[in-house]
Amino acid sequence: MNGNSNMKFLYAGIAIALLLSILAPFLASPDPDGLESAAGGLIEGSKLSHLEETQPAVNAPMPDYSIGGMGKSGEVLAIAVGTLAVLAISFGFGKVFNKKA
Amino acid sequence: MHIPDSFIPLNQAVIYWVIALPFIIMSMRWARKELDEMKVPILAALAAGIFAIQAMNIPIGMGTSGHMVGAALVAIVFGSPWAGVLVITLVLLVQGFAFGDGGITTMGANILNMGVISGFVGYYTYVTLRKSTGTSIAAFGGAWLGIFIASIVCAVQMWLAGTFPLIPGLIAMGTYHLIIGFVGEGLITAVVITAIAKSRPDLLEDSFTVRPEKSKKEVHA
Repeated sequence: MNGNSNMKFLYAGIAIALLLSILAPFLASPDPDGLESAAGGLIEGSKLSHLEETQPAVNAPMPDYSIGGMGKSGEVLAIAVGTLAVLAISFGFGKVFNKKA
Repeated sequence: MHIPDSFIPLNQAVIYWVIALPFIIMSMRWARKELDEMKVPILAALAAGIFAIQAMNIPIGMGTSGHMVGAALVAIVFGSPWAGVLVITLVLLVQGFAFGDGGITTMGANILNMGVISGFVGYYTYVTLRKSTGTSIAAFGGAWLGIFIASIVCAVQMWLAGTFPLIPGLIAMGTYHLIIGFVGEGLITAVVITAIAKSRPDLLEDSFTVRPEKSKKEVHA
């Protein structure tokens, strides 16, 4: 176990994550997830459409992992941006907390 | 299982934030105590991979899909459920603020369900099973049970919120997540943990934190 081979793990992780980012928009099921499906089956129509029309507390810049008007390439880009953001945030978080230790 | 803002009234959403907060703080204390130069790259790689794989919904039939959560996977690799809470919190922050996946008011509930409950149930089920079943099956069982219990808690929250009726909510959420847990969580977690156990056994749990001898034996068993 040494730092170098863990950096290899990091690069392999980044490669796999970016590959998934590219594949996800093409492979991901368009069906609603478990919670949305349950909502669709359990909540009566008018109440459900009211819930769905309610604005989120904060408007996200890339809602539903897409970029307006860019289609599939926008989805690939959005997920790749998210992947790199999570990578940078967790790496940065780790570095900061590590230094304080 | 990402709960949007409109599914939980604000006063209840605040309560879930209050319950989630100590867990988030404890996960940061774990990071301060346990993270070092060697673990940070692993944490970052896992977090990025989990974000990406969560974008890939798997069809499960009945017009429904589901994706992996990953808290159990992270907890097993780091030998601590707090690692799972930390990574899921970071992933949910990016999902909520950048992509509108899961609400901001309901993020406390989402951290509680997907990070704390699926992480703790997943990890301790894995630890309990590991000696009798071996690493792969324990990882599968832990991850599967973790996401199932999280979905049950989510159904109860939906009932308390007045969004779902109790019994039909439990049945729907339970059924969907038993299936999602099988492929989306159980199988992927087992495959990744088994691959790490074979290629980098030093990374897995005990040896990664304490007691190196014990884990070596278990990995080869």
